[in-house]
Amino acid sequence: MNAVTSLPRDVALGLYRTLYLARRCEEVIVRIYPDDEMKTPMHMSMGQEAVSVGICKALAGNGDVIASYRSHATYLAHTEDHRSFFGELHGRTNGTADGKSGSMHLADIPKGMLGASGIVGAGIPVALGAAFANKQQSPGRVVAVFFGDGAVDEGAFWESLNIACAMGLPVMFVCEDNDLAVHTRVSDRRGYSSLPDVVRRYNCMVLEDESNDVEAIYRLGRYAIEQMMSQKTPAFLNIRTYRYLEHCGTAPDTDAPYRKAAEDAFWKGRDCVAMQRKRLLEGGVPESEIVKMERAIDADIEVSVAAANQAPHPGQDLLYRGVFHEAS
Amino acid sequence: MTHQSTATSLSYREALHKAMHDAMAGNPNALLFGQGINDHKGIFGTTTGLADKFGKHRLIEVPLAEEGVTGNCIGAALNGAYPINVHIRSDFVLLAMNQIINLAAKYKYMFGGLFDVPMLVRLVIGRSWGQGAQHSQSLQSLFAHIPGLTVIMPASSGSIVDSYAHAVRKHRGPVISLEHRLMYDLKFEPEHEPVVLGATPFSQRKVSHGSDVTIVSTSIMSLEARRAGEWLASRGISCDIIDLHCVSHIDADVIMKSVARTGKLLVADTSWQPYGVSAEVCRIVAMRDPGVLKAPVVCMGMAAAPCPTAKALEDIYYPNLTTLTDAIATLVRGKKDNGIELPHERSMADVYKKFKGPF
Repeated sequence: MNAVTSLPRDVALGLYRTLYLARRCEEVIVRIYPDDEMKTPMHMSMGQEAVSVGICKALAGNGDVIASYRSHATYLAHTEDHRSFFGELHGRTNGTADGKSGSMHLADIPKGMLGASGIVGAGIPVALGAAFANKQQSPGRVVAVFFGDGAVDEGAFWESLNIACAMGLPVMFVCEDNDLAVHTRVSDRRGYSSLPDVVRRYNCMVLEDESNDVEAIYRLGRYAIEQMMSQKTPAFLNIRTYRYLEHCGTAPDTDAPYRKAAEDAFWKGRDCVAMQRKRLLEGGVPESEIVKMERAIDADIEVSVAAANQAPHPGQDLLYRGVFHEAS
Repeated sequence: MTHQSTATSLSYREALHKAMHDAMAGNPNALLFGQGINDHKGIFGTTTGLADKFGKHRLIEVPLAEEGVTGNCIGAALNGAYPINVHIRSDFVLLAMNQIINLAAKYKYMFGGLFDVPMLVRLVIGRSWGQGAQHSQSLQSLFAHIPGLTVIMPASSGSIVDSYAHAVRKHRGPVISLEHRLMYDLKFEPEHEPVVLGATPFSQRKVSHGSDVTIVSTSIMSLEARRAGEWLASRGISCDIIDLHCVSHIDADVIMKSVARTGKLLVADTSWQPYGVSAEVCRIVAMRDPGVLKAPVVCMGMAAAPCPTAKALEDIYYPNLTTLTDAIATLVRGKKDNGIELPHERSMADVYKKFKGPF
């Protein structure tokens, strides 16, 4: 899995750059969360970033994205806009939604980030309509909808899968499979052994990945998009990955009863950020170049945090703005 | 008929745990279904350890499949079980509305009284600290609107202990209980347990006796009303505070008797005003005897918008002790500029939950 990249150098570097950005933003959150300036529940992506980065980069600017409530990596991978990100987490007017959304509902309509829902699985049906409209108005544009393996237990997933297959919609269902619905394992809540095998019975392309390797996931995404366009079917990608931190909050909970030490060691041994960095080095990218890029990102994130802290708080005038029928 | 509720110095959380424990211990056919009930957090500590004592065949960890699980509870109730279903946020129950409204609420009537559907659905209102639009809703009026459902909003530990025992042992229909997350860590002193104004634990409660204004409140707003009442008592205003508790079955006589005495009514609910508890209480007064009112009714609740996440907006989205006290003083004195000193408190969450980090 750690073979030297066969992707163009700028693509391989770009994947690493975005991975590092997503990871670093959350490391900064872990550092400053105790300051209590970000009064919003955090569902951290750390450990799972390769899924969002690989798929969003595969969309190559011609796709829409809907995220789960664990949306940090997806938002950052698709938009790279950490100014708005930190503004929103700080509840300030320079955020994505004037501070109204917080961590769970990040969005950027011009860039095709169509939102994230705090209700498990709720974004999946929305992806259908987004794809339906694209099919008519923007042929070739796909919608990638991210959700966890917990969301697969919801009726909304199965209804949506059926609709997408029956209508041949350009939806890429991306299951970020960390084996956990909050703290409950797949084996404790499913009456079947293989989700991909079940989905294969639908008129849907099914792809799987267990590498946590951003390049492998990127290739999978590229392949899926090509096939979706030629076959006129949706795609279902089951991508195994691992959540480093607690379900909600910024602490590692490796000692919690639902965790398994061997599993923790296994996945941290294939950390997606470290893996791609190593690959770049083995491929001949000078470490000094990588470090320079990393330090530039670090500095820029600090600028975002400072900007968020200095941005105005939303005021009374914003309380009712955006209600469909606004109070007079 | 009035009676004293169970005196307990348990915290709200401890009372919930006791209620769950007692349900399991007292009824061998009681079952508890929920996502997260058997993990190490146990729904904020309200189900912790119960699976060890009563077995995983009775405390059933479920997939995220709200409609399926709710229908499963209905079926279990039809066949002799007493199912309890808990949702860690009230917002999540919206995925089960079909089963609750089209089936559970109607199952007895629709089949000519053939069936009982004894079951309890626990919902947690997650106010404050950036819970945002989808983790903070207070949905009592959606349920209370539906004939067949009994909707309670316990505002004390004693209220939980008594009401849940009554639901499990006596009540033969579906009960929806909205618990309030901000109260979980509160201890309720026995002398603060309100007097129950009726025959069953689902009846309304008298929080304090007064003569200047009637305050009808729900859930945590009953605690806020008590705090506002205590502030105003030393400033010459006496509040008659009624904790509605069972918002689906309001004893109109209790409200009318109080308003006839005070002539002034303020409704403090945890939710939006239109079509909600505020509207319902106003309907009761308007239909019974609007002539008892000496001033227009004042209603307080959430701003008519989805809940914003930013604390700066959250603080003005909800009523707080200052705005509530101000509204009461203004209503009683008949003018805004009434010279009554107000407490300074921006955020209820700061008072009820001095913590950092997520719920």
